[in-house]
Amino acid sequence: MLRKSKRLWGDQAALKSSYDAVIIGGGLHGLAAAYFLARDHGIKNVAVIEKRFLGFGGSGRNTAIVRANQRTQQNVPLYKEALELWPILTKELDYNLMFFNCGNLNLMHSEAAMNTARMNVATAQFHGVESHLIDAKQCKELVPALNISKDITYPIFGAMYHPPGGILRHDAIVWGLAKGAAKHGVHLHQQTEVTGIGVENGKIVSVETDKGRIKTPRVLNAAGGYSAALSYQMLGIKLPISVLTIQAMVTQPLKPILDHVVSSGTYHAYANQTLKGEIATGAHMDAWPNYTTQTTAYYIKHQAEALSEMLPCLRGVKFMRHWGGLADMTPDMAPIMDGNNLIEGYYMDCGWGYFGFKSCAATGKYMAQFISSGNCPEMLKPFNLSRFEQNRLMGETAALVNYTPDN
Amino acid sequence: MALTLTCPVCGKRNGYEFRYGGEEKGPRPDEADLTPQAWCEYVHMNKCVAGIQKEWWCHKDGCGVWFTTHRNTTCNLEVDTPEAQS
Ligand SMILES: Cc1cc2nc3c(=O)[nH]c(=O)nc-3n(C[C@H](O)[C@H](O)[C@H](O)COP(=O)(O)OP(=O)(O)OC[C@H]3O[C@@H](n4cnc5c(N)ncnc54)[C@H](O)[C@@H]3O)c2cc1C
Ligand SMILES: [Zn+2]
Repeated sequence: MLRKSKRLWGDQAALKSSYDAVIIGGGLHGLAAAYFLARDHGIKNVAVIEKRFLGFGGSGRNTAIVRANQRTQQNVPLYKEALELWPILTKELDYNLMFFNCGNLNLMHSEAAMNTARMNVATAQFHGVESHLIDAKQCKELVPALNISKDITYPIFGAMYHPPGGILRHDAIVWGLAKGAAKHGVHLHQQTEVTGIGVENGKIVSVETDKGRIKTPRVLNAAGGYSAALSYQMLGIKLPISVLTIQAMVTQPLKPILDHVVSSGTYHAYANQTLKGEIATGAHMDAWPNYTTQTTAYYIKHQAEALSEMLPCLRGVKFMRHWGGLADMTPDMAPIMDGNNLIEGYYMDCGWGYFGFKSCAATGKYMAQFISSGNCPEMLKPFNLSRFEQNRLMGETAALVNYTPDN
Repeated sequence: MALTLTCPVCGKRNGYEFRYGGEEKGPRPDEADLTPQAWCEYVHMNKCVAGIQKEWWCHKDGCGVWFTTHRNTTCNLEVDTPEAQS
């Protein structure tokens, strides 16, 4: 390299032999927890251990959609706070996160779906989140490119319209949080892999890495797609998670034509136009667990078919890039945030599936509270692991997901 | 993605003809004295092995048989025995 470039988060510090907290995973959840631990709780002697590079996992591969119109009353407040944090963090981190609150349009293709949307809208409004039910004609007024003719596979009946949602540049928030965490003294160790977790008398005592042992009383498992494998392999704790490859793609850049995030569960497709002009669109999930992150021709065909019906002006547009990432899915499509109970000092923040981008900042804030005090904040209590044993699944999905044996 | 599975009845077929049926977890637990923990373990909990695992499949768009096989989850290749190298 000719130009001497400097990392936003400074040079990598030497790995110390002890830290007050070790965070496994340099994705957004790990970085956000580290940032808030150091900034708000005076726990600055923190290491984030990342086996590849910051943002290598889902955090650098997602389609960047943010919204707060989830299905259940336990989930909405957390996502609402997350959505409200973007403008604040943009200032605080002194980094342009490219938040574009263009609004989300969640299309409905039957009367039954419209009724479900009615309930969702009521839940959102109850929690002070703006959300409306609109008909097909209003959809067309908002998004002129939309095909509302009756002559397509799944005609559009209406939509759930959520004005405050939108998109945020995913790399920017990774870099911004890394910069912020480093500023408050956090050590970010890239190319360092956690290989074991030391437990003595029911307490966390250390973390093994390929660069040496670290003594620590606190560990956060924020390893994204690898969190469940790591939990079982290193601690013998099984989680109700299935890991699936999920794909997304972008088209060639176009002039501005789409100023909303448009999604359809029935077409199994969503699309938004990035600030660079590309149509970013996803997401196909493999129907069986795997860690490959491979892409498929099968999915390109599906996406081309869905988009050319929903947004016919995209016919003939070329896909430029296509990639895959991992989604750690739980049976109720809600995450698992728990800790300091099975093993003293062990915390987990995982099971974020394909929806953990939008929540990362707020989650990090509450996980930092949890880790520093040892007590679970009210906001996170519904997301405990024991809900599965108690058969109190959270209902973020209306129908059973199809990667389990029980569908 | 490329996935080929070997149905015990029909032989090697395209993976999209099959439905995944979960990690092999041994027999369904006895209902007498069944605890919520044991049931949850059987129904929900997974090892999520990044490597070779024994798992269930159904030849949904074929003969309909249920069977177990070993597959390497990091490359989607079926292997003959669990001892095979990943
Ligand atoms: C294609 C795609 C589209 C998506 N779209 C959206 C979206 O539009 N909106 C949304 O909200 N969410 C979306 N998501 C989901 C979102 O990206 C994830 O939920 C989120 O990034 C999870 O963040 P994380 O920090 O928990 O995990 P990750 O970002 O995956 O970070 C985990 C890190 O841990 C590291 N690691 C693993 N094992 C070890 C080890 N042993 N030692 C050290 N480090 C280790 C990994 O290398 C990785 O960098 C999408 C995901 C994908 C794949
Ligand atoms: Zn068969």
